[in-house]
Amino acid sequence: MESIIRAWRTAHAEENGKLLASTISLTNTDLEEFAYSTNSARVAEDIFRSLEYENNSARPKITNKTGLEAWAEVYVAYWKVAQALERHDDVEWGQVFVNMKDLTQAVIRGFQNGLWEVWQLEILYTACKYLRYVAIRTDEAKRANGEDTWKSLEDAARIINRAFNVCLNDRAELAQSRKWGTYYIINLLFKTYFKLNAITLSKNILKALVANTTEMPDLLDFRTSDVVTFKYYCGVIAFLDEDYVKAEEHLDTAYQLCHKDAQKNKELILTYLIPTKLLTRRQLPSATLLKPYPLLESLFLPLAKCIKSGDLRGYDENLARGEDWFVKKRIFLTLERGRDITLRNLFRKVYLAAGDSKTRIPVDHFKAAVSWKSGVELETEEVECYLANMIYKGYIKGYISREKGMVVLSGSNAFPGTGV
Amino acid sequence: MSSKSKPEETTTPKPIKKVLDEDDEFEDFPAEEWEEAESEVPGTTKPNLWEESWDDDDLSEDFSKQLKEELKKNDSQKSGLEAQR
Repeated sequence: MESIIRAWRTAHAEENGKLLASTISLTNTDLEEFAYSTNSARVAEDIFRSLEYENNSARPKITNKTGLEAWAEVYVAYWKVAQALERHDDVEWGQVFVNMKDLTQAVIRGFQNGLWEVWQLEILYTACKYLRYVAIRTDEAKRANGEDTWKSLEDAARIINRAFNVCLNDRAELAQSRKWGTYYIINLLFKTYFKLNAITLSKNILKALVANTTEMPDLLDFRTSDVVTFKYYCGVIAFLDEDYVKAEEHLDTAYQLCHKDAQKNKELILTYLIPTKLLTRRQLPSATLLKPYPLLESLFLPLAKCIKSGDLRGYDENLARGEDWFVKKRIFLTLERGRDITLRNLFRKVYLAAGDSKTRIPVDHFKAAVSWKSGVELETEEVECYLANMIYKGYIKGYISREKGMVVLSGSNAFPGTGV
Repeated sequence: MSSKSKPEETTTPKPIKKVLDEDDEFEDFPAEEWEEAESEVPGTTKPNLWEESWDDDDLSEDFSKQLKEELKKNDSQKSGLEAQR
């Protein structure tokens, strides 16, 4: 017990948030020793005495008795967590979770009652992080026994949401405000809500944030790790809302600021940025961009090649090949809209193949191009429908002359967006 | 978390990593803060890693060549049909 409580004291003397947080971490190497250092009959008294003893040599002292009691609550709860984790061969995750909730709530209360300062926020992060972790393990254990449940994680989400409010609604002056903890906690909530498939709840968080935006420090003044994670989730939320302009803005920032060695995170950002840019700018990832990500490269590069060359058949094949993954990532429907661009590029190739900037091209040519390699001969009406659709969407400038079986293209800029 | 490094005889640290990493969740960064130089796109000059999707004028590539052949075939078939009539 001494080592943990001594670390608590040192952390206060140094105002060292990381060290303080480590005293309630589940990966603390003294966890086992702590679990065996006392028993349930004596734990409250032992911990309080130990805190008092260390506090006597602390600078500054926590003279206030309530102050020490708040910490005693935290470490008693932590001891129970440690005990549930260490003293059984088979960990009963349900029990760990109950204790972990007590621990997190004790930490939240400490901040709520205004006892703790900004440098101590790390302990709130650690409590919430492990609460979520234990909740996931608890639900998994239950699901392994055939019970389909996400109840613990939902429970954890509610508690982390309280931590969010404790940060967001702090009225202290900015330098000393818990508002500095807001984005770390929001990111934990986003991760949790995404896992629970409750994206709407993420939007509620963003609404609450907007309502408080005047007193909130600028996002870019927060830690870069918080900023990148936040931007990634905002980007995905906008993406799922089909607000691609906003999604691009968020994801671009996330990608640019992302740590260059955070391979997995960069891959996740690109997973959404690539379909987004296809729609907002009709841009495709280059081979150089995709090179470091074998999975993305194998799925997106062939697709990009087909879109560019107008290979409609190849595009459909490659989309089908990656379908499972695209659907899982919820980007399939967005990528499908790339079909229009492929078709437009194919029609443009037909136009270029006719040469001499001819403006009258037989519908049959377009029909042959679309039917080509597909093994099915399309009806002329079907192709006319494609063409009409392209014209309607502004991909092609011109009209169909049905009696002559010709597409009459605009003399200038027949395929807007390119030089021809 | 703790900066002290003791051999891992306790059982907890190992499984934790596994679960937090699963199902493609956005990962915790190894650092909380980093300099601009360490970010993916430092500075204002952005390398162009994106390509336009519809400026492909290269008609010498295979796909365009094959397409041209196909269209020719289509024309000759048609004129063949008309000649028969």
